[in-house]
Parts: sequence; structure tokens; C-alpha cells
Amino acid sequence: MTWHTFFNLSTLEHRHLLAAYATVFIVQGSYVLWILRGWLRSKGPRE
Amino acid sequence: MSRPSIFRTVAWLWFLASIAVLIVGFREAIFLVPTDAAQGDTGRIFYYHVPSAMLSLIFPYINFLASLAYLYWRRRDPLKALTSDALALTAAEVTVVYATICLVTGSIWGRATWGIWWTWDPRLTSMLLLWLLYVSYLMLRRFSSSGQSQTLAAVLSVFAAVDVPIVYMSIRWWRTQHPAPVFGGGPDSGLDPSMMPAFVWNIIGWAMWGIFILCFRFALERRRQLAEQEAALSAIEDSLETAQ
Repeated sequence: MTWHTFFNLSTLEHRHLLAAYATVFIVQGSYVLWILRGWLRSKGPRE
Repeated sequence: MSRPSIFRTVAWLWFLASIAVLIVGFREAIFLVPTDAAQGDTGRIFYYHVPSAMLSLIFPYINFLASLAYLYWRRRDPLKALTSDALALTAAEVTVVYATICLVTGSIWGRATWGIWWTWDPRLTSMLLLWLLYVSYLMLRRFSSSGQSQTLAAVLSVFAAVDVPIVYMSIRWWRTQHPAPVFGGGPDSGLDPSMMPAFVWNIIGWAMWGIFILCFRFALERRRQLAEQEAALSAIEDSLETAQ
């Protein structure tokens, strides 16, 4: 498999594969960004 | 070197190492593993679905143990109880993240191979129940105004942990739509050797990532708890000064 076939949206098989992998990155990325946002907004104990 | 800067350095190194392992895992799963003869390229969902499913059954036990510790310490040592509570909350959130990924990728995979998005199979249903239990745990903590929400959540977490072995055993007890266990399922179970490197890299990578987000979220929760303590102390000091 190549990058070209990974992003090939013309077949149902590859659309499902890309959707599954994108789901993983979106969910994990959103969660870590939400933690990072909370971290940047919060103050340390002596700040 | 001070303790916070050591923690920061270790966190950065762990983060970079987990990203590196995940890149290797992605490369193995997408470009190097041979295409599955029966499922085609859709079979590559396995390398992200199964590690997430396995990890979503491990993080609930961190929540369970931390909740037990909270229940034990809440009257004996409130500071230790607060730390346990922060860990329990963090582990519940990470469980929801991994269980969400497991359910969504499983649904997409099911649509591609079975032709259906969902079926009320025991494995799928018990996994959905697990997700609902930990979402309920988080909602209880977020919206309860009883003043006992941490204790109630800790008790709920003890009950929620009961579902974990049911999810694990469901494909052993009831053989329906979901495939048989890949590991520990008897003489016919196991992975083809050509699939092993991609699986191992991904399970290690997602476990490392899970530990990273767990620690990061725990640090944030502890920071919030300490800020609340400081705010409460300064409010008491202010009220004392006003009284004098």
C-alpha cells in the first residue's frame, strides 16, 4: 500500500480505512489539545 | 536540576518517544504489512482498533484502584484522597477516549466487512455499556451538586469495573457476530507472524501515548486542586483580617 492508495477515496474499502485512522487521530488529538488548553489557562502553584 | 524541570524533561522525552513509536507503527500497519487476503486493505483497521480496545480495558482498573484508594483515604488523609481522586478522574477520561475509538473504528470496520454499522452482539453491547458507565461517571462528577460527588463517583467506579471482565470474556462466553479472540482464545487463536511487528509497535505506541495523556491530565488536575486550595486559604485569611 502507498500514500496514494491510503488517500484514495474512490473505493469504499479505502474510505473506511481512512475514516478509521482519521477517527483515532481526531479523538486523541482533540483530547490532548483540550488538556493543553486547560494547562495553558491554569496557573502553577506559585505563579 | 529542580524536580519540576526533571518532570518536564521526562514528559517531553516520553512524548517524543511515543510519537516516534506511533510513526513506526503507522508505517508498519499501512505500508509494510501484506494486504489481508480476505478483507483487503480494510483489514489494516485491526492495528488501531485492537490496541485501543485492549487499552480501554486496562485504564478502568487504574480508575478502580484510585477510587478504592480515595474511599480508603477520604477520612484518614484528605490530601492523599485528593491525589487518588485526581488519578481516578484522569483514568476515567482516558478510558472514555480509548473506548470511543474502539467503538467508532469497530463500527466502521463492521460496516466494511459485515455490511452493518452496529449489531447487539454481546461484545459490542458490553463495550457500549462500559463507555456509558464511564461517561456517566464523568457526568456525575461534572453536574452533581450534592457535595459528595467524589464519593458517589468512586462508588460508581467500583460497579463500573465489574463490566471490564464481562467485556473481556464476552467473546469467550457467547460466540456471535464479533470475531473470536486473537490472543488467549484457544489453539486456533493467534496472529500470523507477518502481522506481529505492526501490532506490537502499535500496542506499545498507543500504550505509551495513553500513559503520556494520563500523566499530563493528572498534572493538570493536581494543578487545579492546588489552585483551589490556595484560593480557599486566601479567602479564609481575608475573612480573618476583615473580622479583626
